[in-house]
Formats: sequence, C-alpha cells, structure tokens
Amino acid sequence: MHNQRLLIKQVIAHLVLIASCALILIPFAMVVLASFRKGNFPPSTLWLNLDQWTLDHWKYVLGIPFREVLNATTGETKMVSPTVAPLHWFLNSLVVSSIASFGIILLSGSAAYAFARLKFRFRNQILTGLLVLQMFPQILTLTAYYRILNYVGERIPWLGLNTFAGLILIYLSGISINIWMIKGYFDTISPSMEDSARIDGASRFQAFTRILLPMSAPIFAVVFILSFISMISEYPTASVVLQESSNRTLAVGAYSLLDEHEKLWGHFSALAVLSGVPITIMFLLCQRFIIGGLTSGGAKE
Amino acid sequence: MVLKNNPNPRTDMNDGAVHITDLVKTYTDDRGRPTFTAVKKINLEINNGEFMVLVGPSGCGKTTTLRMVAGLEKITSGSISIGDRVVNDLEPKDRGIAMVFQNYALYPHMSIFNNMAFGLQLAKKKKDFITETVSRTSKALGLDHMLERKPQALSGGQRQRVALGRAIVRNPQVFLFDEPLSNLDAKMRVQMRSEISRLHGQLGNTMIYVTHDQVEAMTMGDRICVMKDGLIMQVADPLTLYRQPENLFVAGFIGSPPMNLLKGKVEKGDGGLIFKEAADENAVNIPLKGPVEALAAKVVGKPVVFGVRPEHLTEESKNGSTAPVSSTIDIAEPMGSESLVYMKAGTGNLIARIHGEALYHMGQPITVYVNLDKVALFDAETESVIR
Repeated sequence: MHNQRLLIKQVIAHLVLIASCALILIPFAMVVLASFRKGNFPPSTLWLNLDQWTLDHWKYVLGIPFREVLNATTGETKMVSPTVAPLHWFLNSLVVSSIASFGIILLSGSAAYAFARLKFRFRNQILTGLLVLQMFPQILTLTAYYRILNYVGERIPWLGLNTFAGLILIYLSGISINIWMIKGYFDTISPSMEDSARIDGASRFQAFTRILLPMSAPIFAVVFILSFISMISEYPTASVVLQESSNRTLAVGAYSLLDEHEKLWGHFSALAVLSGVPITIMFLLCQRFIIGGLTSGGAKE
Repeated sequence: MVLKNNPNPRTDMNDGAVHITDLVKTYTDDRGRPTFTAVKKINLEINNGEFMVLVGPSGCGKTTTLRMVAGLEKITSGSISIGDRVVNDLEPKDRGIAMVFQNYALYPHMSIFNNMAFGLQLAKKKKDFITETVSRTSKALGLDHMLERKPQALSGGQRQRVALGRAIVRNPQVFLFDEPLSNLDAKMRVQMRSEISRLHGQLGNTMIYVTHDQVEAMTMGDRICVMKDGLIMQVADPLTLYRQPENLFVAGFIGSPPMNLLKGKVEKGDGGLIFKEAADENAVNIPLKGPVEALAAKVVGKPVVFGVRPEHLTEESKNGSTAPVSSTIDIAEPMGSESLVYMKAGTGNLIARIHGEALYHMGQPITVYVNLDKVALFDAETESVIR
C-alpha cells in the first residue's frame, strides 16, 4: 500500500518533469529540423522523411556554395554563389556582445563597489533612482537614442549611427540592474576582508582587485553571461542603429530573412540554431566561476 | 617553539607603547552630518609588552577604539601614538600593527600559505624570506601540514590559528585582537584563550584585546580597561578591578555572579550606623562596623548603594567585623564544590556563594554573615565609590 503510493507519486513527478522538458525541447527540435528540411517551410514538424533532408540552409549560413532547386517538377536548379553575409552577422554579434559585456562588467562592477563600500551624498537616492529608471522599457527611448547617435555621429563619425561603437554605447547605458546585482553580492562579503587586506598593506585598489574581485567571480560570471545572451538576441535597438546589410547583428540579420514577400524559414532556422553556439560556449567558459561556496570559509558571521 | 621573526632584540623598549590622548570618534551619515559619538575623549596609556584588554557591553566603543588604533577608522579628534610616533594619519600597514578579526577574515580564494604570505608579498619581501617565515610560523602553530588547503577546509579553531599566524608573520610591534574567540565553541574558546596568553608570553609584544566577555578579560589581561557608552570606567589589573571597583558599572560588570548591589540609605541606629535598604518588602538592614563605618559616616541620610561580593557572604561568623543578614532562599544552585544561594532582598537578589556541603531549598530561612572588611559603598547619584 505504502509502496504503491510512493510509486504513484514518483510517476506523477516524472510526468511533470518530462512535460516541462518537452515544453522546452519540442520547439527547439522543430527549429533544428526546419533548418535541415528541403525548401523553406516554417518550423512545424517533428519528423522528416529521408528525402526531405538537406544541408542547403546550413551551407547558405556558413557561406558554402550550393545548388538551389528552383522548381521541383522541372528539376530546374540554380547555383547559389557563396554569400558571407550570415557569417558577418555572426561575427558582428560576437564582437558587439563581447565588448559590451566586458564594458558592462567594468562599469557596473566599479559603480557597485562605490555604492557598496563608499560613503557619499545621495547614495541611497541614486541607487533607488537607478532602479526606477530601469523599470521603463528601453525601447521607449529608442527614438531618443536614434536622435542622439545621429547628432553625435555628425561630430564623431565612429560613434554615430551605423557603427558598432554607437550600439555598444547604448548597450552600456542599461546596467542599473547589474549594478544592483553586483552591489547585493558585495554586501554579502564582510568588509573585514578588505580591512584585513589593508592591514596587510594593500591599497584600497589592491584590496578591491586582489580580494573583493576574485571573491565576486560568480556574480561577474552571471552578469557577463546574462548580458551576453541578451545582446546576442537583442533586436529593437540593433535594428534601429545598424541599418546597412553588412553590419547587421545576428538577430537583425536573421529577421531580415523573413521578408514580407519571401520568408526563408529554412535559412532563418539554421541561423537561429547557429546563434545558440556562442551562447553555449560562453556559458561553458563561465560555468567554472559559478560554483557555490567560493566565498565560504573566509569569514564566519 | 621560536616565533620571533626579528633576530635582533628590540633596541627601543618603548616601541610597542601605545598612547591614546583625548580620542574622539563621531560617526557621520552619507552627507557627513554627525550621527553618533562612539568614543568620547578617552585617555589610555598602554605600556610596551602589556596585554591590555578593552572590555564592555556592545556599543561601548571598544571596537571603535581598536579600529582607530589599527587605522581602519578615521580619528575625529585626539591622537594615538605607537612608540614615539603619532600615527593619526598613517596607513594601517605603516603603523607596525597586525590585527585578528572576530570573523577570521581569511581570504577564501587563497591557500593558507598565501593567506599568511599576502602581507609579505605586498611588502615585496624576497621569496625565500617569505617561505621561511611562513613555514616557521605555521610550524609553531601546528598548521604546517595544511598550507596548501583553502580556509574552507579548516575548522573554526584552525582558521583562527591561521589568522593568528597571518598577524605573527607581519612581525608587528602591537597585536590587535577584535573579539577573536567569540565565534568559537566553548571548548575551543578556552583552548585558544590559553594559546593566545602563551603567545603573549613568548613574543612579549604589546597586545590590545577587545572582548565583551569579562571572564576572558579577567583571565587574559595584564590590565583591563572597562568601557561604557564611549567612556572609560576604570583601568586596572584584574584583581584591583575585582576588589576595588571605582563605580557601580564596574562592580556589576566584573565577576560572575556579579557583585550584589542593594539600594538604600545609611541611617543612625542604636548601636551605630545602619544600612537600611529602601524597600517595603524583604528590606535588608546591615549594621556597619569596621572600616566601612568611617566611609558611611560621610553619607548619612543620602541614597547609597551597598555592594558585597557573593563570596563575602558566609554561613559562619568569622573573625573580624561581620554582620548577620537574615532572609529566605529564593533559588539555590548547587554546583558541587559550592552553592549559589539567591536570597530575597528588597531591591534585588542577594547572592551568596557558600560551601556545597548541604542542600538548600526554596523558601527556607537562612542567615548569612557579611564580611564588612570587603564591602563597598557607592554614591547612588554619581555611581562612584565612596572612599
């Protein structure tokens, strides 16, 4: 009787787990299959017949020439010359996201240190203000960003519209949540750590870089990954700032494949899967920093 | 066990003397407005090689004082000098001090070796010297087999020993301890207590030790500085502090159980002066004879506090001046070798520490004898002792 109830409980638990896994995995599988399906069909199936498989979409995405079937009944085909656009978009995204993520860590890390450890006028007010500002969606300020970058670009060309620097600049402005997160982490680290370092002869800067920073590696890894992911997939700002085909980011480029007249679902799917690769790699790289207990053992509260 | 890093004997014997003059600390808020004065113009002389304990309840300013000596807290006014140098504006590293923190404050991402070597590395000492110093110190502290471990893998006592080692390798003139034992369990605390005392004996350095535990203060200190609300109440060696408290606060703070303090008045009675407790119920009257009579004569009719240690209430009348006190037993705590008997009195309990031969029961009448040679009278208004 007892065993039976335990069994039922376990079955239910597993069903719930399987269902939630399916909820995440099925759409993903559909996109992967769409990227291997002949023709440009939207992701809709979980099964491909043997004669439906093709590598054309991936060849397109990776810039390898392939023969495109124009008409299945007549067998009319066309050689598609290699196009490097998707790879370009991919690299653009990597560059923008990496630089902006590093910038975000630098800015929010130093700002968080000030908020956590220094005393200055209006500290709490500014901190609250940052949180309130962050509550408005960034998209509301898009027109303003456009005008500002346009204005700046007339004077400093490398920082204006259609430049990566301009886009990164905008990305660096949305860091208040990160400041809060890092400050919250700093607050959990006992100030006696830095006191101790100062007695050992460390300057304030040394105490920050050699004691506080290494102890805060997990939160920096989290902030880095979250920023990286959000910027790889960020569309609205990038689509407004970057308007030339060659300097599009991955998200903007992928969306451009879904033209009103010709929706290239297969190409789009392949590109979507590809965009997951840098995120996965970045996550694997940062994972070793996100280990629990990095700060434990130093101080007893 | 050799712990001295400096093979040369100190040339100046006053290297480790600490002078605190008119020291004030006022904390400020984010805007720089004063919020709270933690230390109120205190003066304290600490001799070279002395083990000075700062003790008091939380918020009394003892830790703030220590942090000002360390250079972790800015001085509002007054001055601190170590040796012959005024250190007010010196960085902590230049003051010749080392500090052990309550929560150990070990660097969790560094090995034990690096934890101990960090200060020497920052001072750009030679690698050989660092290795030599750290290994010698760690050996003396019994930590030599765990130098490669991280603090996480150590027990509380070992961590505090690492913190001690980190202080020792700095070869400071003055050691500062900020409640170093309060995070340890009771058994470990007793062990580390004697270890620190032994360390003081071996190194001979000046040590300033902050604690809220009066037992720690009494057992470890050469001298004890009792603080309350940012003021120094009394500075003396443990026995003087115990026997001749200068005010009500010290009398009630030092000793466990603390001194019995009864509020009342000195009045003229038939056979001389009598202390009459100011209470309607269970009021205790104690005839004053011997040395205390002369003191009591100064304060006839004024409100006073009568203080007597529990061990100076005995069951038998001894030689010398004693006075009987009769009451009923409120609680009795037999502890084997002795019993603590809480007797009912008008303004509190009167605790007697008497021999443990017999069992005592609640409500039982009892008569004890006050040893009048060992009592103290305090002015109830100024709270200071009458002499």
